[in-house]
Amino acid sequence: MSEHQPNVSRRTVLTTTSAAAVAGLAGCSGGGGGGDDGGDSPSNELELLHAWSSGDGNAAIAALIEGFQEEHPDVEFAEEPVDGAARSNLDQVVLNKLQANDPPSTFQTWPGKTLEKFDGAYEDIEGDVWDDDLKENYLTGPQEQAQYNGSYVTVPLNIHRINNLFYNTAVLDDAGVDPESLSSPSDVVDACATIDENTDAVPFAQQTSGAWSTVQLWETILLGQAGIDGYEAFINGDGDTAAVESALQSVVDLREYYPSDSSSISFTEANTMVMDGDAAFIHQGDWAAGAYSNEDGFNYGDDWGQVTYPGTSGSYLLNMDSFPYLANNPSPEATRQFLSYCGSAEGQVLFNAEKGSIPPRSDADVSSLNSFQQDQYEDFNAADNQPPSIQHGLAVAPGVSTNISSAFSGFLESYNVSGTAESLVNAFN
Amino acid sequence: MRNPLTILRQRLAAHREVRADGGTATEAGSILDRDSVRSAPFWLPPFLLIGLFIYGAIIWNIILSLTDFQGLGSPDYSALDFENYVIAFTGGTPSWSSLTVDPVWNAAWNTVVLMVSFSVVCLAVGLVMAILVDQGIRFENTFRTIYLLPMSLSFVVTAKFWLYMYNVETGLVNLILGGVGVGPIEIVQNPDLKLAAVAFALIWQFSGYAMIVYLAGLRAIPTSHFEAARVDGASTIRMYWRVIIPQLRTATVSALVVLTVFSLKAFDFLFSMYGGYQPGPSADILATRMVREAYANGNWAYGSAIAVLLFIMALAIVAPYIYTQYQRGEL
Repeated sequence: MSEHQPNVSRRTVLTTTSAAAVAGLAGCSGGGGGGDDGGDSPSNELELLHAWSSGDGNAAIAALIEGFQEEHPDVEFAEEPVDGAARSNLDQVVLNKLQANDPPSTFQTWPGKTLEKFDGAYEDIEGDVWDDDLKENYLTGPQEQAQYNGSYVTVPLNIHRINNLFYNTAVLDDAGVDPESLSSPSDVVDACATIDENTDAVPFAQQTSGAWSTVQLWETILLGQAGIDGYEAFINGDGDTAAVESALQSVVDLREYYPSDSSSISFTEANTMVMDGDAAFIHQGDWAAGAYSNEDGFNYGDDWGQVTYPGTSGSYLLNMDSFPYLANNPSPEATRQFLSYCGSAEGQVLFNAEKGSIPPRSDADVSSLNSFQQDQYEDFNAADNQPPSIQHGLAVAPGVSTNISSAFSGFLESYNVSGTAESLVNAFN
Repeated sequence: MRNPLTILRQRLAAHREVRADGGTATEAGSILDRDSVRSAPFWLPPFLLIGLFIYGAIIWNIILSLTDFQGLGSPDYSALDFENYVIAFTGGTPSWSSLTVDPVWNAAWNTVVLMVSFSVVCLAVGLVMAILVDQGIRFENTFRTIYLLPMSLSFVVTAKFWLYMYNVETGLVNLILGGVGVGPIEIVQNPDLKLAAVAFALIWQFSGYAMIVYLAGLRAIPTSHFEAARVDGASTIRMYWRVIIPQLRTATVSALVVLTVFSLKAFDFLFSMYGGYQPGPSADILATRMVREAYANGNWAYGSAIAVLLFIMALAIVAPYIYTQYQRGEL
């Protein structure tokens, strides 16, 4: 044995191996320990996760943070935009952090039933953030959406309206259609027929490659036909199949007036058709108007206009973003200050001026917003009710929402009214 | 011949012979002296890492699929059962949810159809292209590159590109169909054509890969085989059918495995094409269903069960390949 040289290197090898193993273990435990910092010592650094990584959303959150820091210069931001379409990546990041018991201070989320996804992670902020001022100045609809199981856990920051019908003024003039005269969803179908007859434009710009635009359209028509009571019955799981079918049938009727290539285009392309005068109407949330105001020579009132979707007057169909307060908060005091600021008229105006939506508070001074936003805000304050959107996660729990999307992805293939209606009513079971 | 196990065995045997010649070596003291132990620093870390992160994760996923893990919190490993699999096969309302869950048959069937049609057509197209490119044509390298290029694109690019190609008004596919007097046809949301359209786009992307594998296989066949077939008077078709293609068995199997795995990953393609994980019932595959259950609904255990089914399907394809390779001593 002694003549073998490897004897020496064997020891070296063993030493090296164990050293490497120890180093490896140390590395692992070091990584795991990083998460504890926040929980133990309250910090002034606010960890804010959101998906507004570009465009108007990014400008809006920047304006909000800037406004907040003027009032609270001592609070620092570890602001992290999480890239990804429609917040799905963001939810994943938040979920991972929650499961690692390392919650962020707050994150961008839809309020309402969407909150169910992180059931148990929120803390009641009634009293300190949701004080009497907020309770007085938020209308009933948004206020209900800020609650989860009866306690106030999140602060709605903006409202995008869903029940809009945007139109290109020139195309409607050519066709001889007066948008203000439409009073029910079926009037829209008739107007489309007139436009189809009198002009070369596509009557109703819509994308059908993804299901979301059709879900929005259907929920708006349901609200228009079944009224607020029928709509609320549906979102509470007691939907009337006949009402659901009737709304679906109305979508089928409108479908005849979609662009023929609706399945290959996106919302942006559909919206551009309206801007270019290639389409007359589009039903969308009021983010569609954001694109119009960025387009030179396409002005509100002159070149485009908006009416409340016919049949839904008196309702302001809500899509909101909000910032919740998470339990085990890494920066309790700073988070509360920030959420209070999100609930202030000042913060909301700063945010919404950039975002193109409106403040959820009814006492905001909206003179710095554009004239379209001001009109929307007026509608909002005059609305009889503010029902939550189904597509945008406020009205139904995540599992139900998935069932509804599945039903509509099938609807886009077959346009089978009775089958889809059955799936929709059963989505709650 | 090149079986590393055999080589290792021979080495170990040779090693012992030398020790025996030395005469004084004791077997008991030699356990730390073995090659396998002495080389441990080189193979042990990757072995442990792969064991933990690949096989450990697979086993963890299987265990997770037996729990009722849902929503936030942590899984309860004390009560394991096969409920999720029963639900996956028969549907119904599971104990961890108040909502009814549909069985996975539709998605499973679509997955199999996509996998089989895509792989088989892809191989056939690849073989034909390889034979054509192998004819000693001019600009061979250029053609090879052109055929292989689509593979370098990501699924996201391909999906957006084909969404445009399938456009009813302006898409090339409908323009060509119009040229021969057919259509225009709605493709993207047509329940009868959806899955075929997805398969077609994937074939476009990956047949170049099949071509490269076949081309390598063809180049490995000695020219004498071609010449012998010619001398015996075989026609070109007969020569390829009886002499050449049978020798491409290994190439076929290895390309097949890779293509199958790609088809199981068609998730990205569907996600980009339909703007989310809701491609509709006629194009829904297990991967989209799994992500929907896990990430949209937070049904982690049920999502894991679907993942296990997907894993078993992949294994059913790969295992016979690995086994035959092993039998032939090529592993």
